[in-house]
Amino acid sequence: MPVADNVLGFGRALRRAGVLVDSSRIALALESLRWLNLTQRDDVSAAFEAVLISREADRAVFRELFDRYFQAPAAQGLSLAPVGQDASTESLGQGQEAPQRALDALFSAALAPDASLDDNPDDDVSEPDTDARFTASQRERLQQADFRTLDAWEYRQVERWAREVRCELPQHPGRRTRAGSRGAQLHGPRALREAARLDGEVLRLPRRTRREQPLPVLVLIDVSGSMERYSRLLMAFLHAATRQATRRDVFAVGTELTDLTTAFRHADTDRMLADAQRCIPDFAGGTRLGPALHTLLQQHARRLVGRRTVTLLITDGLDTGEPAELEAALAGLRRRSGRVLWLNPMLRFEGYQPLARGARVLNRQVDAMLPVHNLDSLQSLAHSLQRLLQA
Amino acid sequence: MTSIDDLIQALRAEGYESDRRLATAVFLALKLQRPLLLEGEPGVGKTELAKALTRVLQRQLLRLQCYDGMELREALYEWNYAAQMLHMRAAQGAVEAEQIEREVYQPRYLIRRPLLQALQTPEPGALLLIDEVDRADEPFEAFLLEYLGEYQVSIPELGTVQALARPVTILTSNRTRDLHDAVKRRCLYHWMEYPDRERELAIVRRQVPEAAEALARQVAEVLARLRSPEWADQFQRSPGIAETVEWTRALAALGTQSIDPEVLSQTAGLLFKQRDDIETLTRAAAAVLQPA
Repeated sequence: MPVADNVLGFGRALRRAGVLVDSSRIALALESLRWLNLTQRDDVSAAFEAVLISREADRAVFRELFDRYFQAPAAQGLSLAPVGQDASTESLGQGQEAPQRALDALFSAALAPDASLDDNPDDDVSEPDTDARFTASQRERLQQADFRTLDAWEYRQVERWAREVRCELPQHPGRRTRAGSRGAQLHGPRALREAARLDGEVLRLPRRTRREQPLPVLVLIDVSGSMERYSRLLMAFLHAATRQATRRDVFAVGTELTDLTTAFRHADTDRMLADAQRCIPDFAGGTRLGPALHTLLQQHARRLVGRRTVTLLITDGLDTGEPAELEAALAGLRRRSGRVLWLNPMLRFEGYQPLARGARVLNRQVDAMLPVHNLDSLQSLAHSLQRLLQA
Repeated sequence: MTSIDDLIQALRAEGYESDRRLATAVFLALKLQRPLLLEGEPGVGKTELAKALTRVLQRQLLRLQCYDGMELREALYEWNYAAQMLHMRAAQGAVEAEQIEREVYQPRYLIRRPLLQALQTPEPGALLLIDEVDRADEPFEAFLLEYLGEYQVSIPELGTVQALARPVTILTSNRTRDLHDAVKRRCLYHWMEYPDRERELAIVRRQVPEAAEALARQVAEVLARLRSPEWADQFQRSPGIAETVEWTRALAALGTQSIDPEVLSQTAGLLFKQRDDIETLTRAAAAVLQPA
């Protein structure tokens, strides 16, 4: 049946464009055609969208691809004939991401090799155990060495050590319960079980106790030029350290705001770093914290959960924006977070005072400022986080 | 319900103006008997759609409002432990242990929560609204999988409960977090946009008949502009349909003939609920009403 072939081909094209479409969905799309008038092209488009798409972000790709794949003059209705491969590429819109993804999917015969697989995390497997190259005294030195002073080889090694720093995230009583001896509510199942054991006798009343769960975390990383050496390493550190958070949102802050939350979902830190590097358009550019935080509050305010979120703001405070704007944005951020901690690599300088324009505002608005310029400081941050947030 | 047009008409008769793509998704959910996941900003009419649909289908509405930490016992079932313990106490010594066990776990002592109620509603079946599913946590989504995929649930003491009639199931999400793919895979999906000018005008006309036509048109105009990218970026939250309706009611009650900057800033609190947003609107009232 040609219609089936076309729907199948369309499903494959969507898959190439990065939309998750499995065969059961394609079967459902075919089934949906039974209920539709095929001359109503828009209805078929809406139906396929409902069946094949499950993310808002995929809609643009879907519509673009649908229009190209089932190209038919509106008057004639839906022919369900795919566009030939000879369609001229020049006539098609370029520049935007979604259409480009659609185009690539249409005209690439095979799946493009996944670029991120090239920078394989196990690149250095063939090399001898890296740890062995460092003697105890060297390790001790690197423990206290400022990240900026490291050579490439040391940097790589320190980055690996940073990933191994264990971090206890602060806990808070969650909404879910477990059986315990304290709490306002009776734990029915447990009471019944105990009573059954004692021939229906109730000797004590088990309660529902709230389960502890880690607090949600929001990470904001300054990726400007002055922070370059730190931001990559801290991203690696935080990726591993905040893994057990129930909720973790991550943004890169430069001249604009980049959402790294999806990149951070990779289990593998190297893939996360590769992905993050790709996403951030303004890596090692300038910093304008104020506008970026403003955008965060306007567009992603709901990522901050119930004023519990622990916000980690990583920046050197060398901000080129308007201090007033930064102050307003920080105040907003603080209102919506449980705690705002400023992780400041500038604290590597003894006697550092936050006197730069941006830094002064930051110092006024945050709950605490902590050093993050060497391994030692990362370790003490990891240990003190819990205590700091409970105070 | 035989066609998409029928559905649009029927929803309109129940006071819900739906656009054609939305109606297509709903129509398919009914025909393919799949759950429908509606995502969109707050105030675009997700919950209202479910309510209107229950009236169209003349089914009973069962609503499960999700929240952080929701557990099985609030969504599916719970045993009436107090009654069970009384039973156990009363029966003690008089009957065999095995019989007590049977009696203690009888359906009489089962407290049915919305999910179970939906499965046990006889023909024509219920409409189950799982509202704001993004507020519940991830473990809760896992509870839902069996229901969404098979329209059945397993209760250890009683076995598997199959649906008497497949409930029409609608999930809504404000997208405060992404739902798990396993949930999405079992649902049809529709992203709800804010209504366009025409649809909003139709909603205003229907909900606020006392507003003059010219006023209603102007309201739809202003709302369309406030939600356009140019203005939406300046506010933390765009006004939803409920805000539009409330605002129009207020304007009609004030005897407003035509919206001017003064009226707009005086009534800003009906459109926006954040202090910053109200201030922004007050400052920009004239500009909002007079596009370049």
